[in-house]
Amino acid sequence: MKVRFWGVRGSIPVPGRTTNRYGGNTSCVEVRPDRGDPIIIDAGTGIRKLGKSLMEEAFGEGKGRVSILISHTHWDHVQGLPFFSPLYRPGNQIQIFARQRDMHLEAVFSQQHHGAYFPIPLSDLHADMQFHEVIEGARFEIGEAKITCARLNHPWVAIAYRVDVDRAAVVYCADTAPFDDLLLGRDFIEKPHLGTLPPPVRDELAQMRAGVVALAKGADLLIYDTQFTPEEYKVRPHWGHSRPDDAIEIAREAKVKQLCLFHHAPLRSDDDNDRILQLARDTAGTLPVISAYEGLEVQL
Amino acid sequence: MKIRFWGVRGSIPAPGPETNRYGGNTSCVSVETSSGLVIIDMGTGLMHLGNALLAREFGKGQGRATILLSHTHWDHIQGLGFFAPVFIAGNQFTVWGPGGSPEVLEEILEGQMDPNFSPLQTLRNFSASFDVKAATDAFAVGGVTVRAKEHPHGQTTALAFRIEDAGKTFVYASDVGYVDGFDDLIELYRGADVLLHDTTYRPADQVTRRDRGFSSYEEACEAAIAAQVKRLVTFHYDQDYTDDDVDEIVAACEARLAPHGIAVTPAREGDELTVA
Repeated sequence: MKVRFWGVRGSIPVPGRTTNRYGGNTSCVEVRPDRGDPIIIDAGTGIRKLGKSLMEEAFGEGKGRVSILISHTHWDHVQGLPFFSPLYRPGNQIQIFARQRDMHLEAVFSQQHHGAYFPIPLSDLHADMQFHEVIEGARFEIGEAKITCARLNHPWVAIAYRVDVDRAAVVYCADTAPFDDLLLGRDFIEKPHLGTLPPPVRDELAQMRAGVVALAKGADLLIYDTQFTPEEYKVRPHWGHSRPDDAIEIAREAKVKQLCLFHHAPLRSDDDNDRILQLARDTAGTLPVISAYEGLEVQL
Repeated sequence: MKIRFWGVRGSIPAPGPETNRYGGNTSCVSVETSSGLVIIDMGTGLMHLGNALLAREFGKGQGRATILLSHTHWDHIQGLGFFAPVFIAGNQFTVWGPGGSPEVLEEILEGQMDPNFSPLQTLRNFSASFDVKAATDAFAVGGVTVRAKEHPHGQTTALAFRIEDAGKTFVYASDVGYVDGFDDLIELYRGADVLLHDTTYRPADQVTRRDRGFSSYEEACEAAIAAQVKRLVTFHYDQDYTDDDVDEIVAACEARLAPHGIAVTPAREGDELTVA
């Protein structure tokens, strides 16, 4: 399979000269099995250009099929979807997978297309769209690919996906905080109080962490949310993002073959990202580390 | 008045080297008036404006600004959750926008912060005061007069704003797709020192996308001529246009307007335009 990055940024798109090399689009990764239909993970603004590229293939004739795995529905992971050209061509079949919410997923995505925010309602999109609700622990197949899911530590809950196909595995772990300081869920945390965690919370976090390590076990590529530097994490542990060192720890424990830093902070310049990558490589030792940039392709 | 462009792009932010010169952030313009700061639209450019404001009284929770909102499509509100001054207690913002009632407008802005989509969960988690009002035909911001008028924008409408300060006039008319010509709007634009007008498309591209409710640069030029404005600012470039495409739009406007003595300033991220 081939993995290609179309959007690598967290929080909000950041156009400008300081982001030319890594790219300013929000999260979107394409997974291409050797045979069969593409799988897309997350629908940040990067999905716009991916959609244009897909229109050059069967999607332009209304004969395309694609599955989109959504880690969670925060804006930076869904805001490109209304600009995904294959949705506007009758005949295309688009399966959207995302974590179960209180509301049905189709209702969640309909809100993004509400007339107050976007001119074209979800119901007017011409492609055949189907919504699939998944929860952590779910296993399903997309063509020859096997998909597994684990829960992440993020406000309102995000999930990580593992895609196994062509005798290789890629794991997408965004967005998540580390698993030692705070349990993030439905509550809004204005000012975090760090201290000793009550045992049930500590156990839940430990279980979540074990789930992520198990999901990543032996993967060829682990894509991991490393939005924060250690200094930034100290101020914002409740935002639900990790540091490169957290990713390295998980990668080592899971014995992954390669770690990819991902979900770069919006105001991080290309030079900053270069430095963060170098630091991570210094720490990681023999574990190969790369940093995601728009256009990066990894053959697994 | 000092006008500054923070986001000049339409529909969705467009990062990449091909948009470096004009900028890829969505709509946001700041106007320093004799009665304080006025911000027009809250696209992704608003984040960068907000970060710049932290160096001023807004960093100390002593800032006050008026926000004029043309409409609530994503590209005009998506910067709000990243506008640092709203997270500092003491700052005060008054938003004037469409919707006919403050409750309706607030509900729409609240929808953006819904926990499914944003970790903020609700506007109530802002620390600054954030007062939402329905724009009326005319209202005052201190000594500055603002007039607002609806114009057609695809299936919906957006507001155009005319700001008059100490005898000078700035008109903001983005996201307008004229249906029966622009006669109704000319009175709002008339004689403006600066008319910022939607120039999303080249005429040939607009033909196939007329239902989207945007202008071609030709329509912007014709409106500028009819209203006898002094300067046209091109704005809200299509997300697929490169800098070279925008150069072409700007050159075409200059060629059309020069014989009428109307100057052209392209909106470019970071540029400032003083109206005095």
